Amino acid sequence: MSALVEFGVEFGAVTGVAISDLGARPDRSYAGDVHILERDRELAALRAAVAAARAGQGGGVAVTGDAGTGKSTLVESACADASGASDRQLRVLRGVCDPLQTPRPLGPFRDIAGAAGLGPLLRDDDTLLADVYEQLYEALRAEPTVLVVEDLHWIDAASVDVLRFLARRVDSMPIALLVTYRDHEIGPRHSARPLLGDFARIEGLSSLHLDPLSVEGVKALVDGTSLDPQRVHELTGGNPFFVTEVAKDPDRPLPASVRDAVLARTADVAVEDFEVLQLVATAPDRLDDRTLPALGVDLPTLRRLDGTGLLGRTRGGLVFRHELARQAVESTIPPGGVARLHARLLTALEMIEPREPAVLTHHAVAARDSTRAARYARDAAAEAIRAGSHSEAVAFFRIALDHVHEATTPGERADLLQRLSFEQYMTSQLADAIDNVRATFPLWQRAENPAGLAAAHDTAAIFEYYNARRVHAEAHADRAAGIADRSGADLAFGVARSTRGLLAYMRSEVDLALRCSTDAARIADEHEFAPLAIKAEFVRTLVELAGGSVEARARLSDQVETARAEGFDELASTGYSQMSSLDVEQRRFRAAEHVLDESLPFTVERDIPICRHWQTSVRSRLRFNQGRWNAALEDADHVLDEDGMPLATVWPNLVRALVALRRGSGPVLVHLDAAWALARQIDEPLRTLPVLAALAEQMWMTGVADPRVTDDAVRELDRLAGSPGTEWGVGELAAWLLRLGLITEPPDAAALAEPYRAAFAGRHADAAAWWRQAGEPFAEAMTLGDAPDPDLRTRAVELLDSLGAVATADRQRVALRRDGIAQVPTRPRAQTRANPAGLTNRQLDVAKLVARGFTNAEIATRLYISIRTADHHVSAVLTKLGLPNRRAVVVRADELGLS
Amino acid sequence: MPRFLIEREIEGASDLTLADLAKIAQTSNDVVESLGVPYTWVKSYVAGDKIYCVHEAEDAEAVVEHARRGGFPANRISVIANEFGPETASHSAAR
Repeated sequence: MSALVEFGVEFGAVTGVAISDLGARPDRSYAGDVHILERDRELAALRAAVAAARAGQGGGVAVTGDAGTGKSTLVESACADASGASDRQLRVLRGVCDPLQTPRPLGPFRDIAGAAGLGPLLRDDDTLLADVYEQLYEALRAEPTVLVVEDLHWIDAASVDVLRFLARRVDSMPIALLVTYRDHEIGPRHSARPLLGDFARIEGLSSLHLDPLSVEGVKALVDGTSLDPQRVHELTGGNPFFVTEVAKDPDRPLPASVRDAVLARTADVAVEDFEVLQLVATAPDRLDDRTLPALGVDLPTLRRLDGTGLLGRTRGGLVFRHELARQAVESTIPPGGVARLHARLLTALEMIEPREPAVLTHHAVAARDSTRAARYARDAAAEAIRAGSHSEAVAFFRIALDHVHEATTPGERADLLQRLSFEQYMTSQLADAIDNVRATFPLWQRAENPAGLAAAHDTAAIFEYYNARRVHAEAHADRAAGIADRSGADLAFGVARSTRGLLAYMRSEVDLALRCSTDAARIADEHEFAPLAIKAEFVRTLVELAGGSVEARARLSDQVETARAEGFDELASTGYSQMSSLDVEQRRFRAAEHVLDESLPFTVERDIPICRHWQTSVRSRLRFNQGRWNAALEDADHVLDEDGMPLATVWPNLVRALVALRRGSGPVLVHLDAAWALARQIDEPLRTLPVLAALAEQMWMTGVADPRVTDDAVRELDRLAGSPGTEWGVGELAAWLLRLGLITEPPDAAALAEPYRAAFAGRHADAAAWWRQAGEPFAEAMTLGDAPDPDLRTRAVELLDSLGAVATADRQRVALRRDGIAQVPTRPRAQTRANPAGLTNRQLDVAKLVARGFTNAEIATRLYISIRTADHHVSAVLTKLGLPNRRAVVVRADELGLS
Repeated sequence: MPRFLIEREIEGASDLTLADLAKIAQTSNDVVESLGVPYTWVKSYVAGDKIYCVHEAEDAEAVVEHARRGGFPANRISVIANEFGPETASHSAAR
């Protein structure tokens, strides 16, 4: 029986029935034909991962290398071990990424979910992505599994998210996660990039690079033929696929390229049969078996083509056994013939259910069928959005826009552009998002749709603000309100006013904020539009809280919970963002911690990038203030490396700058300059004051005069002292300017928060005690350092040393010696063993659970790690905290800020 | 030509309506037409969560190909070695 039509193992896959070893590649693979040469070490690593999974320990290996280096062969071989031989078979699940122009959202996981008996992953529009993740996680951990995902260089963004979710939990599942990709095809902006970072970073995951074969390896492959190994090695560069193809036909003249080697195998294929090969090559995912009747491909044809050895059957379709073979055949299609082949495939695919819009789009575009391309691209975009695959949604909307008919109405076009821009915002492409919203303005005008135009300006206002262009944002919000007002579009007017109100609040413009939210509340009331009412209420409460009302904090919290319960996810998330932000600003660190513990996972689950970036940056500031600098840097790096929204990058830049400054390591100015540029653009007191304080601190440390401090900071302090909500920022900046001698008198006591008021009144010990209580050790140390009492100043230096603020401590040591104080603490020779600032975010999570009295087994369950890993984390935490045992952590939880 | 008995596991097969079966039959007929080899679908029986089909084909390979193209499951394929019924009694060896 020929390989193309044989049945057996594969048969279950064809029929969609779960069988024990679905993962085994159905077609006779190269693994079966060839000895795997010069891959002993690599194969051993994969086998070790499989064996570990069998024993219940999760792990993963990424296999990388050029096309044809034998990545799949190697993985198949490891899988064959898993499913064969042993009396205890291991489940093997296999997903493949396809070289479609724009990939299918969750493509590989559709295969996997089907094989794992999960059914369709996204049942309906209401399916939460978080539930999809959980469902996969539960299914995968249910039994020891080898999970293979091939060709990550063609992966979609949603699948990357799923894989990252699994990678983070790999330690807690009996799984061998094996992935393959061509490393040189994954650039820095590729959506798989963060996943590769995980493979480099997460314990239990590793990467293997496959090098070309040596001359010895080639010699082994061509052994027994007349071929000269040296020549074959030179020709093929040691590429195993190429060498194998050459070795199959040793008596022919040596082919000049892989392409020639592949095509040599088709020399005897009749013209009509060759066209079938071209059809298969035109379907980059697979030529679905069910399309064969419509395409007129009969069984005798398949039998004849089997002789080429180029094709196999898998995933319910015909495929080339190797992508290089597919490309070789594809390259023979004359330019004029491409569109015709795609059109044939498209027609055949339209006849089978369920339709795959991403695949149909691929063929419709290549068939130059604009009408269908536009239609299927819209469907594919909708599917991508449901899957949370926003980069693909962007690509599909672009295709839809490129292909929409001339006769499309301006309103329809504007609608598509607006959807595109939203997806661009979701992927942090703010500049493009803004361009596309702006492009809708003339379209809404032509459509004579003022409500649409006002809504577009409102969206532009929001995006511009996220992009840190406050002035533009305000102008758009005002324009939106104006247009809506003139045209009687009430609701649009209310929405625009609420946006303007939030902007005014952010800039501490209390009167304007209240006026705007009053307008918004009135409209919300008239139209009984709940989200608008909540948003207006938010702004009013935030104004009160910023102004120091304690009672407002509880009310805001209730309002946020209401928004969340009502299903207004974005609103609730915005509420969390502002609440946590004020909690950190006003030094309610424990409250901030609680909010962020709750809200950061929520922003991930509900896919709200601006709030995720913002809250991560707020947490970065929180950790920084708490003296947990490594954790702060982790968050800062996260936002900056992920191209976070510019608005959210102020704190990350400040944190990077100040940690480097205080530790005396790493670049400072570049981050300070970035923060300053942003602060000027945003021009909000609550952002500007801390940046100026940081600049002042840098000047105090280096002694180099900075006009931004000597001029701007002094002027701004004078201007902003006394304005509502600035008590903390004013206090902090004033403290540095006093140290620098740039001001001689502190601001009025009424303009200052409590610890600053105490310190400036000479009650340094009280102020330091306040900071200690609040949990801000650096501020505590600086306050002690400002005291005249030598004992307090000495303690300040010790505290700075224990924080790792070596450079700041040195600066204080110099001052102590200058002032003739005898007992200057000596500089610690190396980092002391205890180093609370060195805790990572992960270790902080562990520390908090230890503080709550959890056992290692309970910690392991909660954090999706193995007990062994939990053990390691707990020891590291104890070492860094300088504590003898976990009981000490429980006892001192409060003091350590872990309760 | 050999006859094959094909066992197809389809959850809720017994609940398939006549319209459903008509659609399946049409697909099957189109597939038979497309194979390009001698092939006859003789009869099918629905029972519980299964459909049992009797097909005539030159080999099992063709039966498998039919299932692939139709998107039908085919969990077990057996060659029918013999057929008999009440009338077989008249072929009594005793006579």
